[in-house]
Amino acid sequence: MIKIEGLHKSFGQLEVLKGIDYEVKEKEIICVIGPSGSGKSTFLRCINLLEDITDGAVFINGLKVNDSGTNINEIRKDVGMVFQQFNLFPHMNVLNNITISPRKIRKMNPKEAEQLAVELLEKVGLADKAKSFPEQLSGGQMQRVAIARALAMQPKIMLFDEPTSALDPEMVKEVLDVMKQLAFEGMTMVVVTHEMGFAKEMGDRVLFMDEGKLVEEGTPDAIFNNSTNERTKAFLSMVL
Amino acid sequence: MTIDFLDIRFDMIWNYKELFIRGIWVTLGLTVIGYLGGIILGLFLGMGKLSKRKWIYYPCKYYVDFFRGTPLLVQILLIHLAVIPSIFGHSLGYFVSGATALLLNCGAYNAEIIRAGIQSIEKGQTEAARSLGMPSGVAMKNIILPQAFRRMVPPLGNELIALLKDSSLVTVIAANDLLYAGKVVAGAYSRFWEPYITVAILYLMLTFVFTKVIAYVEKRFSNSYVPSQRRRIFTFGRS
Repeated sequence: MIKIEGLHKSFGQLEVLKGIDYEVKEKEIICVIGPSGSGKSTFLRCINLLEDITDGAVFINGLKVNDSGTNINEIRKDVGMVFQQFNLFPHMNVLNNITISPRKIRKMNPKEAEQLAVELLEKVGLADKAKSFPEQLSGGQMQRVAIARALAMQPKIMLFDEPTSALDPEMVKEVLDVMKQLAFEGMTMVVVTHEMGFAKEMGDRVLFMDEGKLVEEGTPDAIFNNSTNERTKAFLSMVL
Repeated sequence: MTIDFLDIRFDMIWNYKELFIRGIWVTLGLTVIGYLGGIILGLFLGMGKLSKRKWIYYPCKYYVDFFRGTPLLVQILLIHLAVIPSIFGHSLGYFVSGATALLLNCGAYNAEIIRAGIQSIEKGQTEAARSLGMPSGVAMKNIILPQAFRRMVPPLGNELIALLKDSSLVTVIAANDLLYAGKVVAGAYSRFWEPYITVAILYLMLTFVFTKVIAYVEKRFSNSYVPSQRRRIFTFGRS
């Protein structure tokens, strides 16, 4: 479903991604772990072209993302993204945050979009917050709205960029629970995370990245319990 | 030199009151047209200056550099005596020239305000909008500009006040604005205190009213996005 070939990314002189190959299959939950500065977020952001790709290619459903003939907006309709800092639109209430993209991009009529938003808010447990503004919500609530907003485009793939890293500890669970629910429903997900518990429990595959390279890849059991890679073991001993 | 305060003759101002009233309207007209046009022009120039395309960026940049880097007085003369006559073959009158010059000048200043306002919005907002599939134009209109506008209100307000006062420069092309009325009276009586003090007071009254309007708009758009939590602007009685 997502195919990554020889992905390189440089910011000026700094090479952040040094050639990554990987393929994500449909309905897989991929958890990307690794130390800060290892390029995990950049890797994720290259998938929906929020970062220009320096070299290599990303294909989503067979379409090359970094091709001048590809309409990136068409691809992004099918690829939802959740950010560390939520990035809700502060000038709109929760309902409008969720309905704006289906209305403007999918040309859904406002009634339908609103109904969809209400359903999604129920799903993330915030049905009573439809008329609230982002500034009135807690971090965990904002992130759940952000997930609902991404889901409103009815994406086939969801990208999560450290979705719980900016949250108070007691709010992490409510966000992870929503993500688990999504996983059970069969969403294809790529999750950059520091939540090792989530990676262990939910990941179909775990990717360990360091210094712009994909160091090791495998099932959670293979990575967390049976890794023979020194770098992986050193990292896990620090975080577990 | 002595100033004889007992000899102030405001009757001569009264005799020319129509000229002053007309002057107020001309000044207001020039300011409002120049300002509103300048906002629309500034919006395009400001976004142009943010463009990655060089053929859009450079013309906008040079335009802004020219109009901010040359005196408005020179621009007014150039437009009235050179640009408009060479395009239309004859003058279109002081009002058209004056309003055009103010609009073109104000657009350059507003461009910088609008550019800075857009740039001040967190990058995450654009990224979130783009990640939802919004083309950049849709993201700009629905996500960035509504937020950026709030941050532009105070500097755009300053620009309005500045423009109101700068509009007095059109006197040089014999536009019968407020300052011109003062000059006429000064010339007619060879007295300077009364007409220019009157002009100053009238400008002060105009800027006072504009300042109040700006303060209202600023309060309306400051603080919270939550309607019920916006600061009350006028509170009557106990709150």
